Amino acid sequence: MDWTKQLLRYIVVMMLQVLLFDQLQFLGVCHPYIYVLCLLMMPITLPHSADMLIGAAAGAIMDIFCNSLGVHMAGCILIMFIRPYLIGAIVSDKDRLNEQISLHAIGMEALVKYVVIMVLIHHLTIFLLAAWSWHHIGFVLLETLVSSTVTIAIIIGYNALKNR
Amino acid sequence: MQTLLKILTRYSNFLVFIALEVAAFMLLSWNNVYPRSSMLSTANDAIAWQHEQISEVKAYFSLRSQNELLAAENAALRNRISAMDSAKTGDDIHYIPAKVVQMTTNRLHNYLTINRGSKDGIQRGQGIRNEEGAVGIVRTVGRNYSVVLPLINTHTNLSCRFAKNDYIGTLQWDGKDSRFALLADVAAHMVVNPGDTIITSGLSPVFPEKIPVGIVENSVLKEGDSYYTIRVRLHTNFKRLKYVEVVQNAAQQELEELENGLD
Repeated sequence: MDWTKQLLRYIVVMMLQVLLFDQLQFLGVCHPYIYVLCLLMMPITLPHSADMLIGAAAGAIMDIFCNSLGVHMAGCILIMFIRPYLIGAIVSDKDRLNEQISLHAIGMEALVKYVVIMVLIHHLTIFLLAAWSWHHIGFVLLETLVSSTVTIAIIIGYNALKNR
Repeated sequence: MQTLLKILTRYSNFLVFIALEVAAFMLLSWNNVYPRSSMLSTANDAIAWQHEQISEVKAYFSLRSQNELLAAENAALRNRISAMDSAKTGDDIHYIPAKVVQMTTNRLHNYLTINRGSKDGIQRGQGIRNEEGAVGIVRTVGRNYSVVLPLINTHTNLSCRFAKNDYIGTLQWDGKDSRFALLADVAAHMVVNPGDTIITSGLSPVFPEKIPVGIVENSVLKEGDSYYTIRVRLHTNFKRLKYVEVVQNAAQQELEELENGLD
């Protein structure tokens, strides 16, 4: 997948995010941020610092839509920093990796581990920073659990569909 | 020197990470304290336009109830005009009608975006109300759109008073239910009954006096506490908010200058 396709996918995913997923009103705790799909599924060809810059940009754009300057940015930079180390720890057979992160390349088990850990870290960071206090910690944890479940399901589903 | 360079190269990724996170947190705290940038919020023309399109589509699904609300609002407005003609209060207050183009009600920090901006004379700190009661305070002003901090945002503080005896309290939100807020700073010697009416205090120029806010749902005075915990049922239905009015107090600037002069 070349970078034009990456960008197109980002635009489509962002439209889905803003037009559909930001409009959800399920009990007030379901705010899935599916746009991380693009960051998670990016091939690992670029230098690590470039990955983090892309994360910062994607986060900042999301922040503009949420009136939350800095929140998504911090979360995205964090997961993009962790990403190469996490992949190194999870994927045992490095030869299969071939710079692409997909169901085909790393297998179901590694993919699920990777997506679950990354999405949980990202969502927890964002909801904690948005709340900006420990006072609402119960609400934040519930919000993280519900929203992450939806995001994880969508990202895994996307990969399964692509692999057919 | 060479060792230093070696260390820098070795940890360059980590340093980039730290630098970017510091930048993000600076933006974060800057935005929490002093949200001036209308470019980087939903007051941005392009973003607000997009939200406006979404709300246009959504509006079709609530036409009937909106019509009922509008009819009720028209009637109330006519009443107000007649009241204004008769009463000479001396306050120079104008209302600018605005439409809500985006709104969240299910987060800790809810915001709403209205389709009026600096070109319509909107300024930071002006009050927002609708026919039901107080809605919020203007936070960030763009050219064509503004972001409003509604009563249902945990950052919001609004000075209120009891209609029956003018006792003052501060309205805050606990982040739980968009229909209720909490009234703080009401001392234990006061008698609070469910059903007491809460109105704006008029102590700040944001809102004129006596704009309805809500009614007391229940009040709790714990053993040994010197202040009540009062739950207020808000008059404004934030879930259906569509049309609002911006309160323009001609004296606001003068009052603020006077207050600043006291420091």
